[in-house]
Amino acid sequence: MGILTVLWEKWAEFKRDFYKITVAAMISPLMYLLVFGLGIQTTSHGEPYLNFLIPGIVAMVTMTGSFSAVSQNMSVQRLYEKALDQVMVSPTPLWQFIVGQIVGGALRGMYAAVVILLLISPIRTSLVFSPLSFAIMFLNGTVFATIAVALSFLAKSYTDAPRFNTYIIMPMSFLCNTFFSTDQMPHGIKEFVQALPLSQTSDMVRAIAQGGEPNLMGVVVLLAYLVVFASISFAFIYKKKNL
Amino acid sequence: MIEIRNLTKRFGDFVAVDHLDLAIETNEFMGLLGPNGAGKTTTISMMSTVLLPTEGEILVDGQQLNRKAAAVKRKLSVVTQEYSMRQDMTMNEVMEYQGRLYYMRKKEIRAKTAELFEFAGLSDFGHRTVRHLSGGMKRKLMICRALMVEPEILLLDEPTAGMDALARRQMWDLLRSLKDRNLTILLTTHYIDEAQALCNRVAFIDGGKLDVVDAPLALIDQLGPFAVDHLEDGKLVSRYFPTREAAIARLQELPDDAVLRATTLEDVFVERVGHRLTRG
Repeated sequence: MGILTVLWEKWAEFKRDFYKITVAAMISPLMYLLVFGLGIQTTSHGEPYLNFLIPGIVAMVTMTGSFSAVSQNMSVQRLYEKALDQVMVSPTPLWQFIVGQIVGGALRGMYAAVVILLLISPIRTSLVFSPLSFAIMFLNGTVFATIAVALSFLAKSYTDAPRFNTYIIMPMSFLCNTFFSTDQMPHGIKEFVQALPLSQTSDMVRAIAQGGEPNLMGVVVLLAYLVVFASISFAFIYKKKNL
Repeated sequence: MIEIRNLTKRFGDFVAVDHLDLAIETNEFMGLLGPNGAGKTTTISMMSTVLLPTEGEILVDGQQLNRKAAAVKRKLSVVTQEYSMRQDMTMNEVMEYQGRLYYMRKKEIRAKTAELFEFAGLSDFGHRTVRHLSGGMKRKLMICRALMVEPEILLLDEPTAGMDALARRQMWDLLRSLKDRNLTILLTTHYIDEAQALCNRVAFIDGGKLDVVDAPLALIDQLGPFAVDHLEDGKLVSRYFPTREAAIARLQELPDDAVLRATTLEDVFVERVGHRLTRG
């Protein structure tokens, strides 16, 4: 019930800011596609580079869409608007509030991915996005929404939200299998980057898109991130002395 | 009934609330009175579970209040000092969100919103966004939001802070009308006249410590209901008397600039705590 309340709140926000949310979801992935995909015409592993790039971009927007939908919103609600106080005093179980944020964030990530898929639909490729691709993208969204929830409890001012974006989301966007394969990275760094959630998602979405079999070990890795950061978020909301 | 037992909150070395013990009876309108920084808001924040106590506990009808105590929290509603609501929501959305957080049905939410907006004179503004409301309207909306869920206990943290004199009087009328709703109310304020006008009992708090709890008139009677002020070496000196006759007798001994007046709750606070409510 509490989960539905948070989803209702997210839906109200989505309806209110529909144009802003949609345009924001489109701008940077579209730029990346134009510059790297269409501007710099090249090939990767004997295939058009777009076949490599598009699944990476789609995986990336589920990350950025989910993360930004939660981190900005939660930080502002907790530190600036103090709207979290309304939730804290209510009988809604706080774990349901957290789960609502995670699901709502993941849905916003999915929305961003669907917008990009619609935008690139005129481009002729052999890429396939199956229900399994969408399930993996949704899982990726839940992971990054959960990371955003946990970080929003650490934020000391609402200007910290953009900083988290700079420290976490931007490096992952560039390094995690989006624009180039992690196989080309030096030993040590490669293993670290490959273990990051976006690398796993990009890998699986790309494998399905190119007609191959995804390494479902990636799902286990994503679930592990989800469990760890959800536990941290629950601990924060129940145990943090000063919210 | 609310029982606050040994409640303490420390932020590092700073003790914001220091072993507070207070009992608030059912249907009582209790005022927690103290200057800025006395620990009033920290106390309310612990009662709304936004802050967890360093020591002590809060019991509501014998049950401990904490973040997991949904049944206890169901009885509570809070009007915080800050405008704690989504600034981009409309007033109707703020009310619907509150209703949903308390598991109310949509039909019930609509009916209650209409009733409360009528009660607070906000009926024409339901579609207005919070950020476009005046301070007074935001305060009224927060009270409507708190009443939406028919709480048994209402916590009001400086509900008239930042309001002009007229808006404050209107808010007092609104708060006075809450007495008919069989609510237990804890009001924190640093406006002495507000506590005197609204509360059955007041508790003085300063430096996080509770000083005294009693009815405003009883506190004034203990000090003496008549005050005589005069200047002594450029400083205002007040003396208190149990009868008008005694006060007049003293007045006649003093120079012409001495004045006789009724003792206020602020006089009681100054005498007990050693400084005025508004420092400056």
